[in-house]
Amino acid sequence: MQHTDSSDSISKSSYIYVCSSSELEENDLTECETETKTIVVGRSEGKVYAVDGICSHEYSELIDGELEDSCLICPLHFACFDIRDGSVLEGPAEDPLQTYDVIEKDGSIWVNDGKEE
Amino acid sequence: MSDTGTIVIVGAGIAGVHAAESLRKEGYQGRIVLLDSDNQMPYDRPPLSKEWMTGVKDDDNILLRDPSRYESLDIDLKLGVEVKDIDPVHKILYTKDGSSYQWDKLMLATGSQLRTLSIDGDDLEGIFYLRKMADAKAIKQYVQHVQEVVIIGAGFIGAEMASSLKQLGIDVTIVERSSYPMENIVGRQISQYFLDLHRRNGVNVITNDSVVQFNGETTVEEAVTAGGQRIPCQAVMLSVGVVPNTVVSHPQLQTNDGYVVNEYGETSISDVYAAGDCTSWPYQGVPVHIEHWDHAVNHAKKVSQNMINPQSSPYAYIPYFWSEQYNNRFQYFGHAKTWSKTILRASTDTNMFTYFYLDDQNVPKAAFISNQPKNALPIRRMIKQENPVNPEDLADENISLKKVQRVLT
Repeated sequence: MQHTDSSDSISKSSYIYVCSSSELEENDLTECETETKTIVVGRSEGKVYAVDGICSHEYSELIDGELEDSCLICPLHFACFDIRDGSVLEGPAEDPLQTYDVIEKDGSIWVNDGKEE
Repeated sequence: MSDTGTIVIVGAGIAGVHAAESLRKEGYQGRIVLLDSDNQMPYDRPPLSKEWMTGVKDDDNILLRDPSRYESLDIDLKLGVEVKDIDPVHKILYTKDGSSYQWDKLMLATGSQLRTLSIDGDDLEGIFYLRKMADAKAIKQYVQHVQEVVIIGAGFIGAEMASSLKQLGIDVTIVERSSYPMENIVGRQISQYFLDLHRRNGVNVITNDSVVQFNGETTVEEAVTAGGQRIPCQAVMLSVGVVPNTVVSHPQLQTNDGYVVNEYGETSISDVYAAGDCTSWPYQGVPVHIEHWDHAVNHAKKVSQNMINPQSSPYAYIPYFWSEQYNNRFQYFGHAKTWSKTILRASTDTNMFTYFYLDDQNVPKAAFISNQPKNALPIRRMIKQENPVNPEDLADENISLKKVQRVLT
């Protein structure tokens, strides 16, 4: 899900601009609203990842949570997700978060809100 | 005791279900028996007064686990079973239906039970308490044909029900005994905020008064207060709090505002543990009794670990609860029976603010957050650290909470 090369086969036109690279430091989170989705983008160990912005347990915006050691913590009931693959690390959530393709290139971060293959 | 033996858990609420599941996650391979007096598959209680009542969530949405989960985890779930007594010497639990269960370790996760009132005329139809799914169903069904409801008690359940019923288009009057509801928990300023919030949303709130009589032919038609007010209503909901459910009793089993447990969840009887609402446990060195979902989950998980590996994992969690009323989300961290100072960060006018409760050393003991979820995790850390803070910094929204923590007085 991590892409650093613009020669990637995925057309950049399906990507939405998120922010500049400098705006997203280690363990920072930012939110990106698309037509149908709320996506949260975060940087962990230098790499940028994107997952659903709403907790899979109950309605809560994960942008209000925190990212720590690749663990994304929900601020409502403290479910933890691995931002790298969306998996549940700690309940009460049962279902993983959808992950999204991210490109970081030329100082910009882009996300694809289509489902990952 | 990883491969053999039996653990019996009494109570399949949020604590009991999490305990059973955690035992399996931690590798326990013995038998797990999970008993509950309720006949329903284990369900989540918080939505009963909120999303389930307003119809946002249905029955299936509030099951704690898919029914197949108990089978796949090899948890022997027994519903509709009431405990008669326990024999700690022979480690046997007897149920009212004549069954008995041998245990190697026993967990009591019996939760809370309703505090009830006796009011003249309370045998009329249309008067409800809310604790179980069956209660919630009865209320929801009944209020479909009702225009006016009286709620007795402006605690969290009463407040949430007022919000939900209002959303369903029903006229609501709350009658609250005190002048400032929940003042002992949230303080006067936040109590006043709640009163204003109800009134702003069209709910009639009568404080410093009590309902002393219900009138009606066969169904309730009016509630009469000590102050002489006659409130027309077709349904009444009593929400005057809960008390620990210590229905499983034994002379050697110590109770004081719940089963008394140490930091490992051990009761006064060897191999008998307790977790969740039904306990009194040591928080920052002082025994406390907490009736919240989040505590029940985390306490049960920790105590389960100690049942497998005795005294391996002390419980030191910051108590937390949340509430939703009139599209506002409230969060409360910590525990403070008393405080020396309160600090308001931002203004209550916007409904987005945080309120801190400090001790005499300026250590934040608790915080109430209104619609500022971003403050939740920093505040949880702040309370856990038990460091003094500069109150002026805390009140200043321009100083981040992370920065406030570093300022020592």
